[in-house]
Amino acid sequence: MLGQVLFGGLAVGSIYGLVALGFAVIFKGTEVFNFAQGMFVVCGAYLAVTAMSVLGLPFFAGAVFIVCAAALLGVLIHALLIQPLSGRPMLSVIMITIALCIVLRALIEMIFGSAGRPLSTPLPSGVITLGSLRISKLHLTAMLVSWVCMGGFGAFFRFTPIGLLMRATADGHEAAVVSGINVNLMNRLAWAIGSVLAAVGGLFLGQLQIVSTELESIGLLALPAVVIGGMQSIPGAIVGGLLVGLVEQLAASYVSPKSSDIFIYGLLLLILMFRPWGLFGQRELGRV
Amino acid sequence: MKIPFTIKTTLLALSGSVALLATAQELPSDGVYKDHIDWGMLMDMSGPASEAQSTYVKGFQDFMRMTNEAGGVNGRKINVLAEDNRYNAATDKIVYEKFVAQTPVLGFSGMGSSGGQSALAPTIRSGKVPVLGTYTPTKALLEPASPLTYHGMCSYKAMAQTGVGYFVDTLKLKAPKVVTVAIESAGGKEFHDYVAESVAKVGGTATAVTMKISAVDVTPQVLEIMNLKPDFITIYGVNNTAVLTMKGLAQYGVKIPAVAITYLAQPQIYAAMGPQAGENYYVSTCVSPGGSDNTPGNLELTAFAEKVGRGALKEDINYAAGWMTGQLVLNRIAALGKDVSRARLVDSMANGFSVDTKGLTAPIVYTKDDHSGLKVHKLISFDYATGKVKHHGEFRDYEKYVK
Amino acid sequence: MIKNSNSADHVSPIHSSVEGRDNMSHMARNVRWALAIVALLYLPVVLTDRAIFGIPLSNAQLLNLSLTQINLMLIAMMGALSLNFLTGCAGLISIGHAALYAVGAMTAATAGTLWGWPFTLVLLAAGVTGASAGFLAGLPSLRVRGLYFVLSTMALHYIVMYAFLEYQFKFFDVVGIPFKNASLGSFELSTPLRWYGFLLLLTVLVFWGLRNTLRSREGQALTAMRDHELAATSLGVNVRTLRLKAFMLSSAIASVAGALYAYYLTNVTSESFGIGFAIEFIAMIIVGGMGSLGGSLVGAALWLLLPSIINLIASQANETTGLVHLVLVDHKAQLVQLIFGLLVVVLLIFAPDGLAGLSKQWQKRKRNTDSSASAHKGEA
Repeated sequence: MLGQVLFGGLAVGSIYGLVALGFAVIFKGTEVFNFAQGMFVVCGAYLAVTAMSVLGLPFFAGAVFIVCAAALLGVLIHALLIQPLSGRPMLSVIMITIALCIVLRALIEMIFGSAGRPLSTPLPSGVITLGSLRISKLHLTAMLVSWVCMGGFGAFFRFTPIGLLMRATADGHEAAVVSGINVNLMNRLAWAIGSVLAAVGGLFLGQLQIVSTELESIGLLALPAVVIGGMQSIPGAIVGGLLVGLVEQLAASYVSPKSSDIFIYGLLLLILMFRPWGLFGQRELGRV
Repeated sequence: MKIPFTIKTTLLALSGSVALLATAQELPSDGVYKDHIDWGMLMDMSGPASEAQSTYVKGFQDFMRMTNEAGGVNGRKINVLAEDNRYNAATDKIVYEKFVAQTPVLGFSGMGSSGGQSALAPTIRSGKVPVLGTYTPTKALLEPASPLTYHGMCSYKAMAQTGVGYFVDTLKLKAPKVVTVAIESAGGKEFHDYVAESVAKVGGTATAVTMKISAVDVTPQVLEIMNLKPDFITIYGVNNTAVLTMKGLAQYGVKIPAVAITYLAQPQIYAAMGPQAGENYYVSTCVSPGGSDNTPGNLELTAFAEKVGRGALKEDINYAAGWMTGQLVLNRIAALGKDVSRARLVDSMANGFSVDTKGLTAPIVYTKDDHSGLKVHKLISFDYATGKVKHHGEFRDYEKYVK
Repeated sequence: MIKNSNSADHVSPIHSSVEGRDNMSHMARNVRWALAIVALLYLPVVLTDRAIFGIPLSNAQLLNLSLTQINLMLIAMMGALSLNFLTGCAGLISIGHAALYAVGAMTAATAGTLWGWPFTLVLLAAGVTGASAGFLAGLPSLRVRGLYFVLSTMALHYIVMYAFLEYQFKFFDVVGIPFKNASLGSFELSTPLRWYGFLLLLTVLVFWGLRNTLRSREGQALTAMRDHELAATSLGVNVRTLRLKAFMLSSAIASVAGALYAYYLTNVTSESFGIGFAIEFIAMIIVGGMGSLGGSLVGAALWLLLPSIINLIASQANETTGLVHLVLVDHKAQLVQLIFGLLVVVLLIFAPDGLAGLSKQWQKRKRNTDSSASAHKGEA
């Protein structure tokens, strides 16, 4: 059973890692703590429902639709809500992302109804048996796609010119402006990427479970994941996600289903008290 | 010249009072007016349990609409005041007070939150407003029987007895191992206790596996079920509970038959499960979902639902349950004739009564000491090949399980 | 020629009309206070009898409000005030208020329901445990600031709620924790009217207490700390102890409010204190205006009024069809959330000081036009 639980933890953790990565990109790029990342996951799931069930698109076209729509959503949110608040105190920015959660949730429930919706995609279902281990094909696919996305974006940031520009902007805004980098564009790009990553996570979570606004609480687990891993670190977000997934499944299986929250948040608290910059992050100098 | 502030305020106050005077009206305190009666409905219409519960409200409202279109009852139309409690006990309290004196009602139905019911039970029992047709049964409101409360839906005990009995007989089990998947609520605990009781009678054992009402990931629960290797499982909860459990089991290639509580016989649940997971999924129900048989009650329901454009909703069991509650309420109000009041309504029910739902359910019988209503249940499942609900026998075939 | 907008406040022998106006505005203010007090005292009677001066009122005229809702609003006001004191005035962002309510409820459950202590003692106990909880919750602030601190309050929320759930299941029932016998000595709080009197008194006390605390030396040090921590430290403000003290006071009040909430509802479960509850408080203080105690009252009142009015409009719209029906009737709860969320967004972008800030600006502008008008008159 331990093997089963570990695999489940890794699978679900990969999805968390993906969402956490999106969160980290937004934070690194625009220094905004996006409480609405969980809702972006839900939006992604509902975009999937729109593509597959409402519009009836074939899978590949549907995937393109989801990615484009999610990117557009990220850009819009940045332009409408985040940019007007640049330079404002942190509570305002945090609060506007929380208010965004409230607004998005209400809108989605009004458009789609509060009932959960099934999501049927041609993603493989069924099970592979390896000895005593039963591996769900869907879990496996989710894991593989998450890793491909994470690896892809890692490479994007490291090797492509735009990726380098984004990292440069994140490291020093003023220097970036002086160098003639279009900082606005970089910020929008960061939000678009963050939203797309969350949307892919939402697609898988929706397929694994059911598409409803309750998915937000799963997406919200990306927050402790990213803090544990290190908020400005890309590998940190991924490791944080995996860790949260493992802790969740282990706690739920061996202690009790309701205890998983407390283990995750207890771990978060410990990290905050003793190593607030996370496992992979860098110590921040106190700002006046 | 500037008008001093004090004079401004006084003028404002005076004009305000005049406006109020002009629009004041008479307010009967029982919710009974010359041309209509106000009847309340308190359910979760937007929160975690809203899928089933808002459909129930629609079924009730549609039945009343049909009644009103046919002339109402004894010269009055029935106006439904539907309030949303968002599954929050604080709101239950606010709405009850509303029903008593703020927007007074003759009586009300529903109460979909067992926590809310238990919290309000003492207040309701010592009050004057009857609750006719609760959606969820709780011991707090039903035991001992109060002249003010009547349960109007299937009973957990009967659901459990019927489900367990049917599987034990059909699968020919000797000492069955059963797992109850339940959300953590008063109702969940009660249901599991009833299951355990029925299973113990045939020498078996029952274990409970719990999950959150808003759970979206149930891998640990599914793994635990697989570990326990039960002969069948029983499910108590909301849509997600059933869908996630069955899908989870199917994902791991496990085939265990499951029987769920009545509320979980909905078209979207069948759709979400898909044929693989759904072929082992049964529901223990006291009411027939719309469009699934040819009894007069069912045909009437289907015809009207189609007329007002309900679509797939009419096949939802909660719609039929709401409709049936409408029949119950209408039956009692009609029996009062022209002189309608809360006190008369309560008195008229005090010695027991029965309601014929035209085949939608087995006859509903209330006695002086037993207000739990519907007892006879049967099992239904969904036939994915034909896309229709399948009945496994008639109500009378199941009477032996609820003796 | 005096064009200074503040000139109206200076007593100047030349502008006797200005002085006269000052006396008038004093009297106007007193009348205003008297009217407000009378209204506050008469309000519960109106809501209970559903009539004003003997004339019956319909539900619509009373804005679909009941005394129960007003009482819940008063309890929420206490929570909003304490949160604003912490966040707006001391600069410590916390989404742990739902957890603090839960701490109060748990204390009330132990002291009141299990041990049978009298109500007043239970409330005191809730205050004490609240203060201790505040101390513990404030400890992370010694290590981390700002964003990380918010996260620590979020983590504490989930930990406290887990403890609550375990506590509820161990000592009580799945159904919830029951509370009985809310009485002050022999005066039983058995009707909403009596609760109203008690809660109104408490809310006023909390408001006054916090306002005076902010005006005291320590309170001013608090505000200094919020505005510029390093500078405050260099002036000798012991930032660490001050922070903890602020948290303790705020938590004590929130905990007492939680105990009151539990007793009022007579039954609470862990679902009564979700994180959405904490977020509602933050929304209240943002809408009202961070740092403005009066603003918190407005924010809490709005939180009460908005769903009431929407429900009222929705109940008239039963017969409509199409989009109106979809939004107003089928999804009226979502509509309330949408409006509230959009209100917060709009205020954050355009009026970051909330409604209190807007009202101050409006008053300032009014004073400007008034004084420049009278200044012109005086010269003529």
